[in-house]
Amino acid sequence: MSGLVWLCKRETLRVSKLWTQTVLAPVISSILFILVFGLSLGGRIDQVSSVDYEVFIVPGLITMGMVQAAYANNASSIFQARFDRYIHDVLSAPMRPWQMTLGYTVGGVFRSLAIGISLLLLAVILVDVPIERPFALLAAVALGLVLFSALGVVVGIYAEVWDHTTFINNIVILPLTFVGGVFYSVEVLPSPWEELSHFNPVFYLVNAVRFGFLGESDVSVWLSLGVTAALALPVYAWSQWLFTTGRRLKD
Amino acid sequence: MLTNFPCPPPSRRGRPLNTPPFIGRVVDSLDRVFRNDPALSLRGLTKHYDDGTVALENFDLEIPAGAFFGLLGPNGAGKTTLISAVCNLLRVTGGEISVFGNAHHTMEARRSIGLAEQDINLDRFLTVRETLVYHGGYFGMEELESRADEMIAAFGLEAKRDTRAPRLSGGQRRRLLLARALMHRPRLVILDEPTAGVDFELRTELWRYIRRLHAEGTTILLTTHYLEEAEELCDEIALIRGGRLIARDTAAGLREDFGADRLQDVYVKAMAS
Repeated sequence: MSGLVWLCKRETLRVSKLWTQTVLAPVISSILFILVFGLSLGGRIDQVSSVDYEVFIVPGLITMGMVQAAYANNASSIFQARFDRYIHDVLSAPMRPWQMTLGYTVGGVFRSLAIGISLLLLAVILVDVPIERPFALLAAVALGLVLFSALGVVVGIYAEVWDHTTFINNIVILPLTFVGGVFYSVEVLPSPWEELSHFNPVFYLVNAVRFGFLGESDVSVWLSLGVTAALALPVYAWSQWLFTTGRRLKD
Repeated sequence: MLTNFPCPPPSRRGRPLNTPPFIGRVVDSLDRVFRNDPALSLRGLTKHYDDGTVALENFDLEIPAGAFFGLLGPNGAGKTTLISAVCNLLRVTGGEISVFGNAHHTMEARRSIGLAEQDINLDRFLTVRETLVYHGGYFGMEELESRADEMIAAFGLEAKRDTRAPRLSGGQRRRLLLARALMHRPRLVILDEPTAGVDFELRTELWRYIRRLHAEGTTILLTTHYLEEAEELCDEIALIRGGRLIARDTAAGLREDFGADRLQDVYVKAMAS
């Protein structure tokens, strides 16, 4: 277990050393969203789902900040380790594949939690956001972080150039997050956009987190947690398979 | 005196079938300690890359414990492939690898190997001291801090202990690479062209350290393109080409076998044959 502990320490140390990039920058950009969209435009928008608009957008913004960080952290950490080949130090160490998978996943989880907790504290101060269902919130955050941290590991292992890691973030994760109901309730969308939103996996995660904060969401929290878990488990298993077989990690 | 004869697997060593598992494990552990397993044993090692390149074909090699063994061959001969296979950095196509009697993928075998690769592959986010401490941590060491300080002193990196790897000079990085390989006190140290691109002073310094390590009982597997380095340091040398073993002997034995006065001439003849 010692190897796993030290790999976790290494991954969290990297986040800590680069804290201005890894934590401060995403927190500032999310707070700007709350200030610009929530406080300045919120006064012109009616309540959404019986809460003020500036409160409504907080769960989605926290989700967006956390999932992007979980993905980007692990994708860049693994890709850098492969690119500079210092991942060999881990691959040759007396560690089991599940320890390597878990160790590399932890960095993204740590960074996301640092961002999420910072945003939560600021959101409580700025807009007094409630936490109505803490256990549902914990479950949603845990599943979301497993999903996007593991996705970062997978993409970091498959990527051949830096652009591949940013491509997935910019072309897949960010658009899905924006159209996943971060800034609006999908109930206000006309057909077929409302129906199409239900095919977006991030929509379910955003709604599960929103349920944890506000106690209400566009779809059942159980469906949201179920869909997120149904995606998180196979993606984590995929990352585990890569470390077990050495595919893409070893020639 | 113990000799290097092949040892049958534990299950075939005449132990009664009703031996309790715990006793069996103790006997196996004692057996491993007292029998003189080779430091490295390769049996039928084969590696075909996805693009069809055959890097190693049915390669057999045994390196006795305590040896200073040199592996010589041109670029593409299969030296680095062999090393990567031993260190679990490669998916082998076929064959068996054991390190001090343990399959190379086991935790025990992994703990026994220290690798300094040809290219500098240091973690860019870690300082010199962190590089050593974290490596020791990955390898399950306990006395991390004191050992890291010992290695920093041994390799003259005291002034750079808190400097991150990208800010070190080429020579300092090379020293740190070697210090990292030795940090967890491996019994088999694999050095893949450790002096490539290194100036004369540092090369001499590294030779001195490697010699001392060998004198303390560590098995060394060295690959190099510098023939004088192999002749100067190694007890035994293997010449490989195209993934196959061409010859193996002491430097003097190779000169005699090939009817050559210098190892350079042996090398030229062996690679042309």
